[in-house]
Amino acid sequence: MDEIISTRKLSKQYKDVLAVSEMSLNVGKGEIYGFLGLNGAGKTTTIRMLLGMIKPTSGKAFIKGQEVYADNTALWKHVGYMVEVPYAYPDLTVKENLELIRRLRFISDKNAVDAIMDKLELTKYAKRRAMDLSLGNAQRLGLAKALIHNPDVLLLDEPSNGLDPSGIYEIRELLTHLAADQGVTIFISSHILNEISRFATRIGIIHEGMLLRELNKQQLDEMSNKRLLVNTRDNSITHDFLTNAGMAVSINKDGHLEISDNSAIEHPEAIATMLVQNDNPPSMLNVVEEDLESFFLRTIASKNNSI
Amino acid sequence: MTTLVNAVWAEFMKVKNSKIVLVTFGLFVFIPLMMGLMIYIVRNPDISEKLGLIAAKASLFGSADGPAFLNLINQLIATVGLIGFGFVTAWVFGREHHDKTMKDILALPVSRTMIVFAKCIVVFCWCLSLMIILFVSAVVVGYVGNIEGWSVSLISHGAVKYLIIGLLTITLCTPVAFMAGYGRGIIAALGFVIITLIMGQFLAVAGLGAFFPWAIPGLYTVPAGTPGMELYPASGVILFLTSLIGLLATIYWWKTADHH
Repeated sequence: MDEIISTRKLSKQYKDVLAVSEMSLNVGKGEIYGFLGLNGAGKTTTIRMLLGMIKPTSGKAFIKGQEVYADNTALWKHVGYMVEVPYAYPDLTVKENLELIRRLRFISDKNAVDAIMDKLELTKYAKRRAMDLSLGNAQRLGLAKALIHNPDVLLLDEPSNGLDPSGIYEIRELLTHLAADQGVTIFISSHILNEISRFATRIGIIHEGMLLRELNKQQLDEMSNKRLLVNTRDNSITHDFLTNAGMAVSINKDGHLEISDNSAIEHPEAIATMLVQNDNPPSMLNVVEEDLESFFLRTIASKNNSI
Repeated sequence: MTTLVNAVWAEFMKVKNSKIVLVTFGLFVFIPLMMGLMIYIVRNPDISEKLGLIAAKASLFGSADGPAFLNLINQLIATVGLIGFGFVTAWVFGREHHDKTMKDILALPVSRTMIVFAKCIVVFCWCLSLMIILFVSAVVVGYVGNIEGWSVSLISHGAVKYLIIGLLTITLCTPVAFMAGYGRGIIAALGFVIITLIMGQFLAVAGLGAFFPWAIPGLYTVPAGTPGMELYPASGVILFLTSLIGLLATIYWWKTADHH
């Protein structure tokens, strides 16, 4: 795997607060790395360190094999970014704001501004001053600034903030296309967990400055809890019946039976048949998959318990 | 070179649509107009009698002739200029914090040093424009107000001194640029400007103005040989070093500070 973004024991200490602690991660070419954490977990500090805006207390960060530091101007030609809430020069129009970035990025193609406005559906707002934009369009302008130079690497901090559902969908499709078809490496932070899980190829969970866990899409599917929920006329009889059949069964707080055996989860129809034959047919049979949010919270909880 | 040109272009773009530019231009036209009005009041006792307090203030202008008016303009550029140029610098450097756009210019192919230089160039051009506007307005006011002794030779002779005082005042903008960064906004920088102005006035009266950078341009307006108001070669060195330290500190801050 070509390592495009990597950190080695990256740490940032503010007086008595350890914002990021010995973070080591690698992101390969064309990956979409979802960086998940609660507010204050250290996501933005990490992204700012990756952009040379905050100097690490210790450790190093690399992008495309080059060490990240403030004035590594050659490196920033390949990197597009959007950190936290995007702001623009309020007195300038959308087009002027983008023209300004075009010049500062030495983009010779004068059509680049029109092209990116077109791509992000900002053309009709071209002459509108940034101060008059809605939050969603300000977010699009922020993304346009990050994408105008067709970067190889994208660092995005909460890019879906302020977007409506269709906007979120568009951005998701755009980022997926950039990664899959153009090999753009995307590092994206978010606290909207289920959104990230839809298109990230790998996920890192950060909590209190520490990278708790990294997993790819397949691992996420495997590690997230799946259960078969069953309800019958008499759950205590069914519990004994299924336990005698060798299954791991429990009764949850709602009084439903929970079966965690893979065979039951993969073939709930077999359980239904067994219960019918036992004259205790199911009134409910439901495979419940733990979503990323509960997986995330479970991961954090287990970390807190281990401390 | 392209880097600096593009950075300067970008900085001019940021300034171009801003109302602040027109406000400062208007203020620098208004001030000589008011000074001219005061001199007009001094020269017309019948009006003075009707205006009470304003007339009393106007009487402070003394002889109310051409040389006095020119000296007044020189004092203005050293004092009001200090505030005006300081405000311009605070705005150009501090607005990135105020508008929360700082992060957008920190990881670009243009180095942070070039951005600081570009901002300094814009500040210089803006302040120079204000200097010119104030002087041209004063010239017009002098002619329209028919101030005694207001002549081409007086103006051309005075223009050189005015230019020197104005440029010395602009030179003192670099520490303000640093304060705009260090204070992460406009307010701290403006506070710094006001403190230096007050300190400058106080130390000048105490006879130490020649060694305090922000008092030096003002002392340049005082007639040579005035006791306690003399300038020394060291004064120029102090002013130059202050400006240089301000510039280097600004660049250092931009390059090394954590930008949250």
